[in-house]
Amino acid sequence: MKLKKIFLPFLLLLCQFIAAQSDSVIKLKAVVISDTQLRDFSNTQSVQKLNDSVISRNSPSLTSLLNYNTVIYFKENGLGMVSSPSFRGTTAQQTAIIWNGININSQLLGQTDFNVLNTRDFSSISVKAGGGSVVYGSSAIGGSIHLNNDLTFGDQFKNSLRFDYGSYNTIGTHYNLKAGTDKISTNVSISRNSSDNDYEYPGKDMKNENGQYYNTSMNLAFAYKLNSKNILRFYNYLFDGERHFSGTLAAPSKSKYQDTNMRNMLEWTGYYNRFTSRLKTAYLYEKYKYFENYKNDFFTFGNVKTFIVRYDLTYDVSNSIKLNSIVDYTQNNGDGSDIINKKRNIGSGSLLMKHSVSTRFQYELGVRKEITDTYDSPLLFSVGTNFAVADFYTIKLNTSRNFRMPTYNDLYWSGSGNPELNPETSYQAEIGNVFKFNNTTLTVTGYYIKLRDMLRWIPSKDGVWRPENVGRVNTFGAESILNWHKRIGAGTLEFNGTYAYTVSREDGKSEQLIYVPFHKATASLAYGWKNVSVYYRHLFNGEVFTTSDNEYKIDPYNVSSLGAEYDFKLFSGLGLGFQVNNLWNEEYQNVDVRPMPGRNYNMYLNFNF
Amino acid sequence: MKLHKLLLTVILGSFLFVSCSSDDNNDSKPSGAYDNGVIVLNQGNFLKGNASISFLSNSFVTENNIFSTVNNGAVLGDTGQDIGFKGDLAYIVLNVSNKIEIVNRYTFAKVATISNGLVNPRYIAFHNDKAYVTNWGDGNIKTDDYVAVIDLKTNTVTGTIPVVEGPERIIEENGKLYVAHAGGFGYGNTITVIKTANNTIETTITVGDVPNSIETENGKLYVLTSGKSEFSGSESAGKFHIITLNDNKVTTTLDFTGLTHPSNLVIEDNRIYYTLNNDVYTMTLAPSVLPATSLFSTTAQGVKNGINCFAVEDSRIYVGDALDFNSNGKVYVYSLQGALQHSTTVGLIPAGFYFND
Repeated sequence: MKLKKIFLPFLLLLCQFIAAQSDSVIKLKAVVISDTQLRDFSNTQSVQKLNDSVISRNSPSLTSLLNYNTVIYFKENGLGMVSSPSFRGTTAQQTAIIWNGININSQLLGQTDFNVLNTRDFSSISVKAGGGSVVYGSSAIGGSIHLNNDLTFGDQFKNSLRFDYGSYNTIGTHYNLKAGTDKISTNVSISRNSSDNDYEYPGKDMKNENGQYYNTSMNLAFAYKLNSKNILRFYNYLFDGERHFSGTLAAPSKSKYQDTNMRNMLEWTGYYNRFTSRLKTAYLYEKYKYFENYKNDFFTFGNVKTFIVRYDLTYDVSNSIKLNSIVDYTQNNGDGSDIINKKRNIGSGSLLMKHSVSTRFQYELGVRKEITDTYDSPLLFSVGTNFAVADFYTIKLNTSRNFRMPTYNDLYWSGSGNPELNPETSYQAEIGNVFKFNNTTLTVTGYYIKLRDMLRWIPSKDGVWRPENVGRVNTFGAESILNWHKRIGAGTLEFNGTYAYTVSREDGKSEQLIYVPFHKATASLAYGWKNVSVYYRHLFNGEVFTTSDNEYKIDPYNVSSLGAEYDFKLFSGLGLGFQVNNLWNEEYQNVDVRPMPGRNYNMYLNFNF
Repeated sequence: MKLHKLLLTVILGSFLFVSCSSDDNNDSKPSGAYDNGVIVLNQGNFLKGNASISFLSNSFVTENNIFSTVNNGAVLGDTGQDIGFKGDLAYIVLNVSNKIEIVNRYTFAKVATISNGLVNPRYIAFHNDKAYVTNWGDGNIKTDDYVAVIDLKTNTVTGTIPVVEGPERIIEENGKLYVAHAGGFGYGNTITVIKTANNTIETTITVGDVPNSIETENGKLYVLTSGKSEFSGSESAGKFHIITLNDNKVTTTLDFTGLTHPSNLVIEDNRIYYTLNNDVYTMTLAPSVLPATSLFSTTAQGVKNGINCFAVEDSRIYVGDALDFNSNGKVYVYSLQGALQHSTTVGLIPAGFYFND
């Protein structure tokens, strides 16, 4: 019954679309992207885009890229090990990873391990702060990370090949092909990374043992222009990796973990006058194997197959009003050694609207409802405005309700899962201020998040740990992002900085949540002149508490790196780069009893042909 | 807490991160003597390396983190499981670290470390110049469990005695070892009797599901089983057994009613004490029925997740509360009638009391 009501508005929109078909030709844009909501319906929040030059100067893990360039805090269980974000003081399950418009957080864990995504496989990576569940569904509470593969039509044939070699026998190889005609465009990336990862613990007579890893990934994006109005696209991302889980200062380790992920998406886009129609189908497969002792064959495992069909229709009512409806059906089928085999079905509908009242003022509205047999899902909304008060000053307001659904492990863990769980829900509001002067852009955003029904695994009376909707957390804070650049002589000097202040605590308590720093800051200074560029990067991570009574903490730390690049005029370009990481050889831990490496080195060669 | 429940946390890639840092304490100098009081073993969190030792003197002065303080900030290890005293030495069994730290029991100065030959070590017992340590082996493998034999003169593992899955508590009486098989990752229901003379198994005694505590007194073995938890999918209630040691026969079995899961059997001054959830019970050494009412409850002190560790000594009852398992725990001391005498804060997850007197 309910379902019908919800689909009605979308059906109505569909009828309009059929009626409104006309022959007028809409010129196809040169670059096609899949995550159009990031472009069209994210104007009332802060979006920070990291382009390929930033990506190429950072190590290939998503952890490293975002840790050194954004406000997001990471806890990394030792270099290259399991890594989870805390965005605006939220948990790892409250940040969504969006791959070409599709949420790819693990259905088993509800989060993404930021060390099992290779950054070089993507054309751009964007960080959207704040609530986004209306568009992106579960987990977009603290914010969302968008991994995009752009496709460009027009004649081109570009190859690039990159080799990295660094301390601890860390080897990276990356190949990228971009080829296209007026009708076809492809973008293929293949990456292979491996490391012995056996660094000395600075100041200790110990090494990082059993930390070796390797992974291989391939990302394929392909577009075919059927005619002037219709484009077919296919995206595929494969990742296969094995990590040994390193020991700690207190315990040796023999365990290892294997990840296999496959993501496929087929999309048909039609441009019909004022309508843009997108039909997407996706098939996602995730699988892990955990070996307690790598020397024997016993392992535990879990896997989930996810099938998604989505219809996304945009209607440009006028030059100033854009409507977007999205209907989505998702089926998950999970299985594993410790979970009950379950299939779950989730249907959802969203309506989005953007109205540019004038060149200075626009607002965005969104509403979404999900229907599933597994849990009760709240009605979500988002309201935002963007107002250019002056040429140099824009103010953005946004408020939204967001959610995070219970994971397979929460619901179906054998013997202790709790099928009665509700989703976590949040109400949140933010005020963003954007200042633009000649060479400077400064964004300062204040926010508040009220999170309820937070899932926590707690001991029950009989000693069994079970998830319950018991957490009530209030978080507030401020983020600021600064970009400044200036031409000096024949070169350009550029500064990028971020700073986050975060207070996150249980309702009625004064203790900060564990592993949420009050302060985090990043800074990078780069100078490029002709074929040479030099850059310096710095990270400050404030103290974090490691117990809920705030009696135990990890000291704050400062880590810097220095790098230089030189481009030779050979082939279509030959780049040579050298980096010194942890320049000042800081002794630090990001997670307790897991020291991070001291000063270490990386060099790379980049051929374009 | 059971390892496999904690493993879940790891697999979840999750967030019960806890510290081992020694900065939680003030600069109080070690007294140099930790006699005349109780040593509290704080288990710490799985894979967080924050096990610690607290000392509570008979006059109720608490000193936390004594191992690290005495030994120049050294990390004790991961998941403190048991402490055994032998002569002037204390043997601290660290489950996830796969080691035993040997310290002077009165000063806690480090003496030696045994780190070879132990795989998931659990509990320790002694006989003559040997120590016997139960080991799970790899948690997921049912057939590699053993009792390690340690030569105390060389502090090396000199032999192993293979046993069935999940050997947990171990005690020695008259040259025989009694090993309770709680089951490790699974669910055990036996007591293995081992002759130390030749390290062979004399017999196996079947008891209720998951024997969690054993004691000997006057030629009898007292066994408390918790029953299988709801987690198992085939929940069962606890049992109480008395076994005569000369013929290894079960002479008394008392069944707990409902699906209740008692633990922490202790014998002191000819009384039996045990706990059920947050309550303390007592009965005679030859009970015909289980007590219908508790001696007292600890809920007034805020204990709500079950009594994590328990002891009775010199007319005092000691209760350890792990709170949310991610904060410094509490120890409560009561009279034998259950009147609260003292409460204090110890380290993360108090898991055992060991009396130095």
